[in-house]
Amino acid sequence: MTEHGTHTAQRALEAIRDAAARYDAPVGSGVIGTVGRDVPAELVEAFGLHPLRLRGDPSWPTSEADEYLGRGLDEATRSVLAGILAGAYGELDGIVVSSDCDASQRLFYVLREMHRIDPTCTLPPVHLVDVLHLPREATARYNLRKLEQLSETLHEWSGRTAGAEELAAAIHNRNAVRELQGRVMALRRTQARLSGTDALAVLRAADRMPQSEYLERLTALVQHPEELPVQPGERLFLTGSNHDTPEVYQTIERCGYVIVGEDHDWGEMTSYGSVEIGEAEAVAGDDTLGGDERRGLLRAVARRLLEAPPTSQRASVRQRADYCAGGVESAEAAMLLSYVRVLDEAPLWDFAAQRRAVKVKSAVITNQRYGCIDQQQLDRALHSPETTGVNA
Amino acid sequence: MSTRSNQPPQRLESARLALRYQKQWFADLHEHVSAGGRFALVNADTPHEILRVFDVPYVVNQWWSSIAASRDGAQRYLSLIAEQGLPRDSDQYNAIGLGSLFDADPSSAPWGGLPRPFLVLGDITGDVTRKVFDVWGEGEGITFFPFENSASTTAEPQWWDRLSTEWEALRGTDRIDLQLAEIQELIELLERLTGTEFDESKLIRIMRLGNEQAEWNRRTRDLIASTSPCPVSVNDSIPAVMIPQWHRGTEWARDAARSLYEEVVQRAETGAALADPERARLMWIGRGLWFDLGFYRHFEERYGAVFVWSMYLAIAADGYARYGTDPLRALASRFIGFHEHLYVAPYSTEWYVQQARQHRIDGVVHLVSDDPRGHWATTRALRAAGIPVIEVRADNADESSYDIEEFRGGVASWIEAEVLRGE
Repeated sequence: MTEHGTHTAQRALEAIRDAAARYDAPVGSGVIGTVGRDVPAELVEAFGLHPLRLRGDPSWPTSEADEYLGRGLDEATRSVLAGILAGAYGELDGIVVSSDCDASQRLFYVLREMHRIDPTCTLPPVHLVDVLHLPREATARYNLRKLEQLSETLHEWSGRTAGAEELAAAIHNRNAVRELQGRVMALRRTQARLSGTDALAVLRAADRMPQSEYLERLTALVQHPEELPVQPGERLFLTGSNHDTPEVYQTIERCGYVIVGEDHDWGEMTSYGSVEIGEAEAVAGDDTLGGDERRGLLRAVARRLLEAPPTSQRASVRQRADYCAGGVESAEAAMLLSYVRVLDEAPLWDFAAQRRAVKVKSAVITNQRYGCIDQQQLDRALHSPETTGVNA
Repeated sequence: MSTRSNQPPQRLESARLALRYQKQWFADLHEHVSAGGRFALVNADTPHEILRVFDVPYVVNQWWSSIAASRDGAQRYLSLIAEQGLPRDSDQYNAIGLGSLFDADPSSAPWGGLPRPFLVLGDITGDVTRKVFDVWGEGEGITFFPFENSASTTAEPQWWDRLSTEWEALRGTDRIDLQLAEIQELIELLERLTGTEFDESKLIRIMRLGNEQAEWNRRTRDLIASTSPCPVSVNDSIPAVMIPQWHRGTEWARDAARSLYEEVVQRAETGAALADPERARLMWIGRGLWFDLGFYRHFEERYGAVFVWSMYLAIAADGYARYGTDPLRALASRFIGFHEHLYVAPYSTEWYVQQARQHRIDGVVHLVSDDPRGHWATTRALRAAGIPVIEVRADNADESSYDIEEFRGGVASWIEAEVLRGE
């Protein structure tokens, strides 16, 4: 057992919290910043690169970023651009942006235009991986082509190639991470052995500590759950906007609630599902896809992205309501709370159907600033949930 | 500042006839539905041509929103949406029409309200538009067919003079393959729903008529660009172009575009002017300000500052024509990333600069609202080209936060200071 492996669950959790608070990567070179949940980490890793999902910080000033992006989109994305402009993420060899939401796409277009109009631009090169989500074969084929193009860019940036062997190894590693994350999330969901704040930290820390250490820390958590005290409080399921920082979770949990599940893309859904290599092998002989093993693996990666849990920005109202209701039920939550940031409007359209779909009380808090939650609105939501609505 | 008191040319006959035609067409649609007929509701950037092949009438959601917004219907419909627990102040331009679904008294709504469609076509632009159509799709007897909204991953600044023939390269094979597969799926759906087979010869004819319509629009646009003083108001050119646009692929629409051109020729030859003297030529970038269409005339009268350009005629001239031997593939290419021409750099920025130069623009009023993207790049590119720009902020379909005095006052101050420069 390594030095790290001798740590108890409690000490593992402390290390995870520290890592989650970082903005930069645990490695000094070969770092690729990623934006949005639809950048396939295993593909980046297959090229020997380290994917670092960029996150903002509510305390960062966004005035310079706002000059480019305007103020007409989610402050969380404006904060990410502020971080990029300030060099807050350390040295990045490139930035891969996904089409996971409109704000991410806008960020890509701004970065691309900054490069185009100023050849001396010192920002990292940028690539859009346009992964889409309608459950159709045409979309699956399109996504596969987008992953091929991403591979070409990663080859250009890294100077390396990633054949079937490298990709299979990266898939294996990433599956192992997700599998362990899933076991940790189960501790939280079924036993409330982790607060929502700590669960978020577990997921945020994934690319902010060396992977071997991360796996050891997660292993310590699942092997010694008894060291983790059961979190007191009413069980609450959080929907709505995503959270790349802990402030909102902390505020809600200070009110006597424990967030036992959520359906946003920095939360539990990041640990969802493995890339099924068996499926990839099964399609390896498909002539329309090139027929080689590497392409089959890539197709499996694309398939996981297509079938990923529904985010508010890329899924239908019905999909979101069904997924949310399933999450509430499996987490045995006593309450559903939707938290919606200013200019992140998709969750507003989900809420009515979510409220109808769940059997527990539900409330919504709208027009919130990034990283903040209005205490008065929160009190009302928690104590008089039936009085809340997306227009109230 | 002296007021220009010259009499403006009368309303374009083309605009008047288009509006009259549309009103009658909509009344006929009501009758069609009352008699048990079906119709579709479609987003603007979806392949309407397929519906036309199947003789399925359709209403364009954005057109319906503009009708509602210009006749005080916006608040009525937004309130109906809010009563369902849905957001009142989100993507109003696309959402207003949804209020029709919940309207218990459509007879008192603008134009008698919107009947219930059996099919809804929408593209997944942004984060919210799809949600609006999802809700439509929850309505009894309504099927929602979504189209992906693929994104450009490469940048090709100059497209406007190549797109009609080089669409495969400019729009990208991956994207066209995707859209084509979706169109084929839609065709299968319509064959099931209507019990009729897809007729490619009809599509070929529809595409030909659409291309002819685009060519007339291009002639009109080029003529307005080269004519000074400007003989045509954007208030007229918008309906004269857009109503036929929603009937694209018909002889009436093609002929309406030709009539518009001929009328502009006639006006140009007789020296008709919106303002005399014409002291400044302005460009309006953004959607139409539906609830304050007097905005444009106000500056013509007060300052002799004439809005000679809006995207509606310009994109009709440059964005729609598609030539080629495969009509379905050409059609698929028409609607890929349509909004990129208008909102995504460098497609939009370089086009706006080219259009500003072609029209000899003295200043640009750039409407910035929350959902269209890319305003920084647009403003930057125009200013880099030496063209004054003012950014104005409003939701073009929802007047609830619109302050007419403040809005117009800001533009007036800018015209005096940066466009006329104390002239």
